[in-house]
Amino acid sequence: MSKPRIGVYVCQCGTNIAKMVDCEAVAKAAAALPGVVLAKTYKYMCSNPGQEMIVQDIKEHGLERVVVSACSPRMHERTFRAALATAGLNPYFFEMANIREQCSWVHDDPLAATEKATALLRAAVLRVAQHEPLEKMMVDMCPDVLVIGGGIAGLTAALDIATAGGKVTLVERTGALGGNLARIDLTAPYLTSARDLLVERVSRVRSHPRIAVKLDSQVSKLSGFVGNYKAEIVSVPSNGGAPLEIAIGNVVVCTGYQEFDASRITHYGYGKLPNVITSFEFEAMLRAGRIQMADGRLPKNVCLVHCVGSRSPEFHSYCSRVCCMTALKYAHEVHSALPEARVCDLYVDMHAFGKGHEDFYKKTSEVKTLFLMYKKGDRPVIRKAGPDDGVDMLIEVNEQLSGETIEIPADLVILMVGMEARNDSYEVSRLVNISQDKEGWFIESHPKLDPVATTTDGIYIAGTCAAPKDIPDTVAQAHAAAARILAKSARGRIEVDAVFAEIDENKCSGCRMCNELCPYSAIEFDPVKKRSHVISAVCKACGCCVAACPSGAIKGRHFTDAQIIAQIEGVLA
Amino acid sequence: MAIRVNPSLIDDLERYGAEDVQKCYHCGNCSAVCPHADESYVFPRRSMRSLQMGLERKLETGLEPWLCYYCGQCSEQCPREAEPGETMMSLRRWLTARYDVTGISGLFYRSPKAEIAAMLGLALLTGLGFAAWGSTHGQLGIYEGEGAFLNSHYVHLFDWAMAAVLTTLIVANSARMWWLTIVKGTPAPVPLSLYLKHAWRVPWQFFTQQRYKDCGEPRPWMLHLGLMLSYFTMFVLIMFFLGTVQSDTWNPVHVLGYLATIGLVGASAFMIQGRLKKTEAQHKHSHESDWIFLAQLLYVSVTGILQHVLHRAGLNEAANITYVLHMMGVVPMLVLEVPFSKWAHLAYRPLALYFAELRREAIGQVEAPPLPAGARPVKAA
Repeated sequence: MSKPRIGVYVCQCGTNIAKMVDCEAVAKAAAALPGVVLAKTYKYMCSNPGQEMIVQDIKEHGLERVVVSACSPRMHERTFRAALATAGLNPYFFEMANIREQCSWVHDDPLAATEKATALLRAAVLRVAQHEPLEKMMVDMCPDVLVIGGGIAGLTAALDIATAGGKVTLVERTGALGGNLARIDLTAPYLTSARDLLVERVSRVRSHPRIAVKLDSQVSKLSGFVGNYKAEIVSVPSNGGAPLEIAIGNVVVCTGYQEFDASRITHYGYGKLPNVITSFEFEAMLRAGRIQMADGRLPKNVCLVHCVGSRSPEFHSYCSRVCCMTALKYAHEVHSALPEARVCDLYVDMHAFGKGHEDFYKKTSEVKTLFLMYKKGDRPVIRKAGPDDGVDMLIEVNEQLSGETIEIPADLVILMVGMEARNDSYEVSRLVNISQDKEGWFIESHPKLDPVATTTDGIYIAGTCAAPKDIPDTVAQAHAAAARILAKSARGRIEVDAVFAEIDENKCSGCRMCNELCPYSAIEFDPVKKRSHVISAVCKACGCCVAACPSGAIKGRHFTDAQIIAQIEGVLA
Repeated sequence: MAIRVNPSLIDDLERYGAEDVQKCYHCGNCSAVCPHADESYVFPRRSMRSLQMGLERKLETGLEPWLCYYCGQCSEQCPREAEPGETMMSLRRWLTARYDVTGISGLFYRSPKAEIAAMLGLALLTGLGFAAWGSTHGQLGIYEGEGAFLNSHYVHLFDWAMAAVLTTLIVANSARMWWLTIVKGTPAPVPLSLYLKHAWRVPWQFFTQQRYKDCGEPRPWMLHLGLMLSYFTMFVLIMFFLGTVQSDTWNPVHVLGYLATIGLVGASAFMIQGRLKKTEAQHKHSHESDWIFLAQLLYVSVTGILQHVLHRAGLNEAANITYVLHMMGVVPMLVLEVPFSKWAHLAYRPLALYFAELRREAIGQVEAPPLPAGARPVKAA
């Protein structure tokens, strides 16, 4: 096989690279490498003239391979592959050497940096000579969607998808739709009814011809890959019946949160002092229409304690985001129900980040709420008051803004319990094959640029299963997940990356080591042939199986042994 | 020992004029902009906080409200419109009531109606008393000398009796102020030497109001000083030179009387104008007690002038009637207003500045040995 004709381009990236790396010298060294027919430097390779130069050179000089020595492939690999495609060359005949992030930005010795850039470029040149042409695959996309969880996020996503024409199966473990929102009375900061928000959505979902609601049910199994999933749904508790099998293209996980167990904090006497209640117990009181103490009396002094379980190293380090505004809402609700009652609000920091929140905070201070600041880690202590105190409980706290140790009279204490990942979140994460962070929340594909997708194609997350959030954020994420799914299924087919692992059935011994190892559950075992095979649409090309296979039967496309060895030789030469 | 929070104290303070205290979220801009707040006396923020929390004991033993002259910069800077300046003003009213051993002050501040009723009642009593006394001991047609309707000798004696009552009340209330702020409120013993060392501050602050000048703007300071000096001059003239004041026009004492009168009328007119215009922060909010104070001042000044003019014009009957009307203003002012209302700050403010220095130094002596020259003072807790 004759040596392919290689074109090399060294980008100066303005001065980003050029200030530390002698680009001309790097290009000159590359020109001497086998197969290199031209080596150029340019100010900005990613610019239109830069890309056109590549296209032009491919045509004029008959280039068969292209190497661009510039920034990270995460930044512009796509750009340059597109340039190759424009010139009629297979886009995988391209390699990038990262001499910016991994060289010019991190070094301060121009000579050494130039030497390193030369080595990186040499590796890329030797590697690209080994590249094989690859084609992207198209797979069918089933337009139907499985939504797990019937809270406000699930209801929202289901309605969007069904409205667009897809069939939705909405699986809810409990006997009613609405989730945690159904337990809430009014919402902050506009004091509108949570019931009103839900009733409209629930009735639309219930009556929608393309939404099948499965109450008292859960997903027991999910298999397949993006566009082609199969789910099994069973009833809870199991009635022994056969699981319902459905075919779907995508899944939206909206499993929500559970509230923190307040009895874990002994300072607050929850479970022991009858008038210490959680925010959800207080919501139930509000929904029932009467704020009262355990013995039925009306409280004169109501105390709100923030950050119960949140923002503390022993429990959860994160902020639950909704409690501050919920507490302010309680101040208003207490004030309107019991105008004589006094409200004390014990907070650590007041997080009023959302739309209308700051005004709401200010408005609450105007309805005579006494805001008292305690220090993180120095929790208030609630104790039963004596008979002469004229009050049910006393709260002792080191108040931060005055610097005083004070005692607050309280008849009713409301603990603003935070959100935490549900106890069954691990099982859910395994079921749909997505990752969790250390607190148990499901992880997004990218925290900023892709906050609804996950690392598994076709599995989306929305609402508080991903992290604590308020209603508008939850609803926005649900709409976004639905929109992402609709955009992907609009064409009926989806493109799958050409880079994945392949198992040579003739070499495979059927040991199944790779099956368990694959972090994406992309490898299936065929019990008839006694061979494993990779579901290419699921594979993320991480290479675990390639390295682990004792028979050397697995090849990573675009990461073949020959390519990697050539690269290593290039660096070391 | 934990201090019990009294969440309803703030309701009580509302009747003294505090309005928007709850809006404060303690950014500290007010204390930062205040020309007088320092490491030892952090205000208005701390006072706002104590008030929000109802730390009654801390407030009644505190001196901060008296260290403020209400320049209004804090209220202008406040991002939450919590009116810290007005809060300090309300606290001064509240403290005046706290210092008062009789409870009359609290009644007046909380109920302007009671205050006005008491004023009018005493005025009526004064009027009737003087009319009865004058008509039995003299004739309405005679202004001076033998057979005068209101003989200046007896009026003078009456003035002295009033001054004695007034002094007793002021001394008693000041003693209570000392008890609260120094004995109860200063967490360190104050040795006699300190009292002597700083004693000069009382007359110095009283006569110069140096600290008010340090607020920045000269105009409010000059007005306030002018009013106070005029009032003081008039008081001394009436108490010690009543005979001379009413003598010939170009007597130096008489001239001083004219000047003081101009000062009283002028300054109170400017202050009334300020409260009506409401352009400056310190004049935006007016408690009823502020209006009563100014109205009374103006009434007494104007009737005094009128009485003088009528007398000089030879209209003795009219002069005598005006004199009675004048006394109907003077007596309630001296007996009820000066010890129990806004006037009382005449005594409390210089005393507070004196006590504040005593407290600062007494705590400093306990907390840290004397610092070497050039070292920064230790920040007080």
